[in-house]
Amino acid sequence: MAENTAVLATYGLQKAYGACMALDGANMMVRRGDIYGLVGRNGAGKTTLMRMVTGQSQPTGGEMELFGASGKNMRPQRRRTGAMIEIPSFSPFLTARENLEYYRLQRGIPGKQTVDEVLELVDLAGTEKKKFKAFSLGMKQRLGLALALMNHPDFLILDEPINGLDPEGVAEFRHLLRQLNQERQTTILISSHILSELSAIATRYGFMEQGRILEEISAQALHDKCRTCLRLEVDDASRAAAILQTELGTDKFEVLPGNVIQLYDCLDDPKRASYALAQNGVALLAMEQKGANLEAYFLNLIGGGRHA
Amino acid sequence: MLNYIRAEIYKLLRRPYTYIALGVMLALEGLYASMFAFHNAHSMATPFGGAIVTIIEMGAIGFCTCLLTGDIVFAGQYKNSTLKNEVSFGLSRTQVYLGKFITQTLLSIAYLLVMMGFFLGLCAVCLPMEPSAGFYSAHEGLVIVGYFLAVGLPLWIAAQAAACMCLFLVHGEMAGSFLYVGLVFVLDTVLEVAGMLIGGGAGALLLKVIQYFPMRMLNAAKTVVGDMGYLGKAWLVGAFWVAVCTAAGLYGFHRKEIK
Repeated sequence: MAENTAVLATYGLQKAYGACMALDGANMMVRRGDIYGLVGRNGAGKTTLMRMVTGQSQPTGGEMELFGASGKNMRPQRRRTGAMIEIPSFSPFLTARENLEYYRLQRGIPGKQTVDEVLELVDLAGTEKKKFKAFSLGMKQRLGLALALMNHPDFLILDEPINGLDPEGVAEFRHLLRQLNQERQTTILISSHILSELSAIATRYGFMEQGRILEEISAQALHDKCRTCLRLEVDDASRAAAILQTELGTDKFEVLPGNVIQLYDCLDDPKRASYALAQNGVALLAMEQKGANLEAYFLNLIGGGRHA
Repeated sequence: MLNYIRAEIYKLLRRPYTYIALGVMLALEGLYASMFAFHNAHSMATPFGGAIVTIIEMGAIGFCTCLLTGDIVFAGQYKNSTLKNEVSFGLSRTQVYLGKFITQTLLSIAYLLVMMGFFLGLCAVCLPMEPSAGFYSAHEGLVIVGYFLAVGLPLWIAAQAAACMCLFLVHGEMAGSFLYVGLVFVLDTVLEVAGMLIGGGAGALLLKVIQYFPMRMLNAAKTVVGDMGYLGKAWLVGAFWVAVCTAAGLYGFHRKEIK
């Protein structure tokens, strides 16, 4: 295994459909205990990557490891995973219980009560007579999640799982994922277009564009990068830093290359900072208030204004 | 594999298609058997033995039923994208393919038993058991039917393997069905015509090859009732077709993208 804690690692993973590279050397690592948010716009390669991890599609280049196993040895490791890729798919003429019972038998999962437990968990226990073909999109999503959870997976792979869920369902879903992550130490790889939801649960992010992972970053590091600050451009950053410490009594700042200081203090009274610097002979060349959320960070990263 | 087959049977038993298809087949059989009873009431008396041997003319129905049972087990797998649930859990594609093929074969055999039992039972109830002039006795009839079934079984299983291959390899079930019909019902005739047109060694080879097509072999069985050598040949040919179709189906399915 690349690292003791790596649940999934990909190395230069490629997938070509003719001349089109759906994945173009994707490198990513999901560590044990992560809730890994995969962010990217339509066609970035998120679903393709997840389909490869789940064995639905074969890579045309590169390597991947699942629980440390690669190649053909990955297949048995998939039994430790639960997946919901794209739209949940079931036999339309069966009810939710019958569909899950079918997969329980197929997968050799012991205990008939497992089906009831997992239906209860996703709030589908009251749909005994309703066939899958009559389900709403939200109910289908819940059933897809139920199937993914039925074998108590160590690693959950979810592609756009909150599509079609109502606001209450989204909140329950978020709670469920947190619970699984904290109580069962389930590692989760999740993609979603709803970045605000993703930012509410993810502990680590991978930003994807044109079949590549542009950046992997922890939620904490992203939070630090995105938090509101005063961006001060000065003629002498080291002197300015000393002044901020002595005159304003703060050490909540970062000195960046190019004589730039990011100050996380004095946000409600920026004049204090500019006055202190001017009084001590440091030229303030520019000052702006800066801050970003996940969406802004992503858009800035891919260098465009198009939405994820 | 047992778990897989168990699950497939669980699903089959909850699928209306399974019962509707069998119901239609039994209704047609009932109609066929009642035709003899109706005929007997008005003119000559066809006995049990005379009626049951007529099914040897209907071997093609067995080949059609293979497509039906294949479709019952496989229907909607691509359309509903349910194969992804199986593969993503780590079930091997070989297991998925063979599991479905074995289930299709078990369903075919179950259909065969029910349909034969129903037909023989209906004939036994509705038709006289005593032999009459010009007809086979009940015993003779049962021997002929038994031989026909013994020859037919491996050939029908071969056709089942072909149906399974077609349904797995072609995304649309309609297109898969056409491929099956082409392979089982049309290809031998095309090769026969080609063999006659080409002539010479190659033509003779083609004419030889078509004798090993399942439907041709079953039709030829009518003329060699009781020939154990032919029975053995039918099982060998059936096994060959099963092996070739399964190998081709597995090869194609392993290379397929599951969406």
